[in-house]
Amino acid sequence: MVLRLDGVTKVFGAVRALDGASLEVERGEIFTLLGPSGCGKTTTLRLVAGLEHPDAGEIALRGRVVASVPRRVFVAPHKRNLGMVFQSYAIWPHMNVFENVAYPLRLRGVKRSVVAEKVTRVLDLVGLAGLDERGATLLSGGQMQRLALCRALVYEPDLLLLDEPFSNLDAKLREQMRVELKVLQRRLGVTVLFVTHDQIEALSLSDRIAVMQRGRVEQVGAPRELYERPASAFVRDFLGQTVVLRGVVREPGARDGTITVALDGGLAGSTLRGHAGPAAALAAGAPAHLAIRPENIEVAGDGRSTPEANTLTGTIDALLFVGDRYEARVVLGGEQRILMLLPRAREWHEGQRLQLTFPPQTVSVWPA
Amino acid sequence: MTTATPAVHRRRVPRIDTQAVLCTVVLGIVAFCVVFPVLLVMLQSFQVAPPGQPAKYGLDGWRAAFDEPGLRAALLNTLKVTFVRQLLSLPLAVLIAWLLARTDLPGRRWLEFAFWAAFFLPSFTVTLSWILLLDPEYGLINTSLARLVGTAPFNIYSFWGIVWVHVLTGSLTVKVILLTPAFRHMNASFEEASRVAGASTLRTALRITVPVMAPVILSVLLLGTMVSLQTFEVEQVLGLPFRFFVFSTMIYDLLVTRVPRYDAATALAVVILAAMLPLVLAQQWLTRGRRYTTLTGQFQNQPHRLGRWRAPALALVLALVSIVLGVPVVFALLGTFMKLFGFFHIADPWTLNNWKTVLTDELFLRSLHNTVVLAVGTAVAAVVVHSLIAYIAVRTRYAGRRALDFISWLPFTVPGIILGLALLWLFLGVEMLKPLYGTTTLLIVAGVIAGMPLGVQIIKSGLLQLGSELEEASRIAGASWWATYRRIVLRLMAPTLMAVAMITFVGAARNIGNFALLTTSANRPLSILQIDYIAQRKFEEAVVVACIIMFISLAGALLARLLGLRSGLG
Repeated sequence: MVLRLDGVTKVFGAVRALDGASLEVERGEIFTLLGPSGCGKTTTLRLVAGLEHPDAGEIALRGRVVASVPRRVFVAPHKRNLGMVFQSYAIWPHMNVFENVAYPLRLRGVKRSVVAEKVTRVLDLVGLAGLDERGATLLSGGQMQRLALCRALVYEPDLLLLDEPFSNLDAKLREQMRVELKVLQRRLGVTVLFVTHDQIEALSLSDRIAVMQRGRVEQVGAPRELYERPASAFVRDFLGQTVVLRGVVREPGARDGTITVALDGGLAGSTLRGHAGPAAALAAGAPAHLAIRPENIEVAGDGRSTPEANTLTGTIDALLFVGDRYEARVVLGGEQRILMLLPRAREWHEGQRLQLTFPPQTVSVWPA
Repeated sequence: MTTATPAVHRRRVPRIDTQAVLCTVVLGIVAFCVVFPVLLVMLQSFQVAPPGQPAKYGLDGWRAAFDEPGLRAALLNTLKVTFVRQLLSLPLAVLIAWLLARTDLPGRRWLEFAFWAAFFLPSFTVTLSWILLLDPEYGLINTSLARLVGTAPFNIYSFWGIVWVHVLTGSLTVKVILLTPAFRHMNASFEEASRVAGASTLRTALRITVPVMAPVILSVLLLGTMVSLQTFEVEQVLGLPFRFFVFSTMIYDLLVTRVPRYDAATALAVVILAAMLPLVLAQQWLTRGRRYTTLTGQFQNQPHRLGRWRAPALALVLALVSIVLGVPVVFALLGTFMKLFGFFHIADPWTLNNWKTVLTDELFLRSLHNTVVLAVGTAVAAVVVHSLIAYIAVRTRYAGRRALDFISWLPFTVPGIILGLALLWLFLGVEMLKPLYGTTTLLIVAGVIAGMPLGVQIIKSGLLQLGSELEEASRIAGASWWATYRRIVLRLMAPTLMAVAMITFVGAARNIGNFALLTTSANRPLSILQIDYIAQRKFEEAVVVACIIMFISLAGALLARLLGLRSGLG
């Protein structure tokens, strides 16, 4: 285990930026802290780096306690052997590319010849070879990011900290850097603690993700696990798109393990079936939410509706062509608007009536 | 959620690290050199026994400060001069700053530099040059007008004479150089939105630009008021002939009489201090949450087109530049070549003898040497001390950082002459420091303290623009706090620090108030030598020395500018 956080709390004035968080990061994995702004993910990173002092709890790096309130231990950031890439990259403008990367090595008393060799190797690794003498401020955004990465990797830190490193790049470059980072990490085997608010970044890069909210860790798991089996409504709604319909439980446990819910509002009179979400059992008559990912909703072939088929009727309200598919806003029962993804293969038009199937195994039922 | 917070705080780890130790050492030294003298001044205001006799405590000094008509008049005069100065200079400064920063005024960069240079002119030199023009008897403007229309309307030895010189020396230029960068850095989209909405240039300036800048303008006004309450030389030269006293000159008068009235002088000083403190607090409150961000160049400020107002605006600014910069430089220089200072109408008024006399004077050469040592020493020491204070205040979580920040403002609240007196007591009172009396080291300490408010402020705003991630990256890369300070902070701040060095260099070269009571014949700098010449009625020699100080100052201004100081409150 590379990193362990145990009940770590950080208070800024009256705000608990981090509230008793516990985490474990394994060797060689990309571990991501994901959450909306203000959830405490950056605070966590800064606590690990030693840039903040915890108010409670304990932090250990490779089994060595680096910050502990009960044991009165605090190891200064420069003695933790971490690498970090900042959101602004923090490239020192008074040094050129080579000097920026060589700085951490020189601080460690590495011999001059070895410094040159290591810097060249790491610059080569990220495609900055030959730019040694370039002034650091003359680099493009993508180059600065690579340089920041070099500087953080050159001394082989125990843990690489990434603080929203892609947020200052444009969309195309961001995707490219994402792939590059993953390839590089797999090659070097370095352990990464990654902070982002971008779920696509988190899902595509991570081995494991911790979803955070209001200073607490909501759920930790592999990307697919979080996406397919969210443990809370917050995780469900934060990761990806979710269609939520309201209703009341009619039949809690049928033979096939499904729950039947009678819908409210404009959809009154319709029922849908789904399987139980992660929460406790739902009694008949309890208010409930039905949740389904838009990509799981199917458009039925003909216009006939039967309760067994688990279908609803809707009308396309707005149609957006986004390249590889259509995104549509569909009105159900006159008032409920949901997002749907429609294949490009067929023709669609606004005002078109659709018969929508909600496969029961993809619908989950949550207490309201 | 918040109820559990105190428990968490109580268990905080007490950390003893090098940083905290260093911070405490800095705080201790600064407090000793700044707070202790101020406390001495307060204590001394209750010590009523004449010098040399056993201490006796009472309220006589305070009674005198409020009862004696002369002292009351000084209080009133100070308020009057301050109020009129600000009233006249602020609208003009706002107008000029707007013209320089937001319009297509031709040559605006050069004009801004002219105001910058004028700010560095020693007020003593400027005062002498205006005496040449506006002396009621022989002033050049007066004699010319007398020949043309038969009357000599101006008298520089008057309330309005004092106000005139003040507006030109301090009030206007300091506001322009502080406001112009602030106006320049204002987000242009405010104005653009107003223009798009259909407002004219003038309407936009009055309804959008000025209100948006109100906090900065107010903060500059407060600074200007503080500077006003401080001045000494102008009133000393122009006020004395018609017995017009303000706070600072009254204090000086009380100190240099045969039996110095330390009690009344210090009581007056405490009154000034009390008046200044709310101003300092208000100033700090106004600039408290300012976010300084590095310039990204993302929005390009399009200057307003002045159109047909371009020529009149240029004429106005040029006229002001020639008054604040041209007149003092030209006439101070002319004055040095006069056989009899101020007498243009005598036959063959010109001579080179003044320069010869001064440049060969043993006293002058020693003073020049003293000034060079003093100014260089002050500049070096100030950069170290001021940058440490600024760094601790801005970048650390040290518990005493706010106290340190506040203390760095204190020298601003104490009249220079009183600060000098307090340091005198401090250095004569503490056995270990006694040998320093009469040395240049003592003057360097005074110079560093006098320059502290401005120096710390400039470095602070530079640090805030730096972005803390550059330092954090260094910490994580393996550098200790001290190594980061040396290898990252100091290197990146080099231009700002050089600029502060130049400003303190100039400040030390021209400072009179702080040094007046601390100098002996051994450590006398040029700025005091010119005062001594005046006291001996050697005006011609005095103006030569004043001119030399002026050129040292202008060279410093130019250097600081070349080093890229664009500091302001923006």
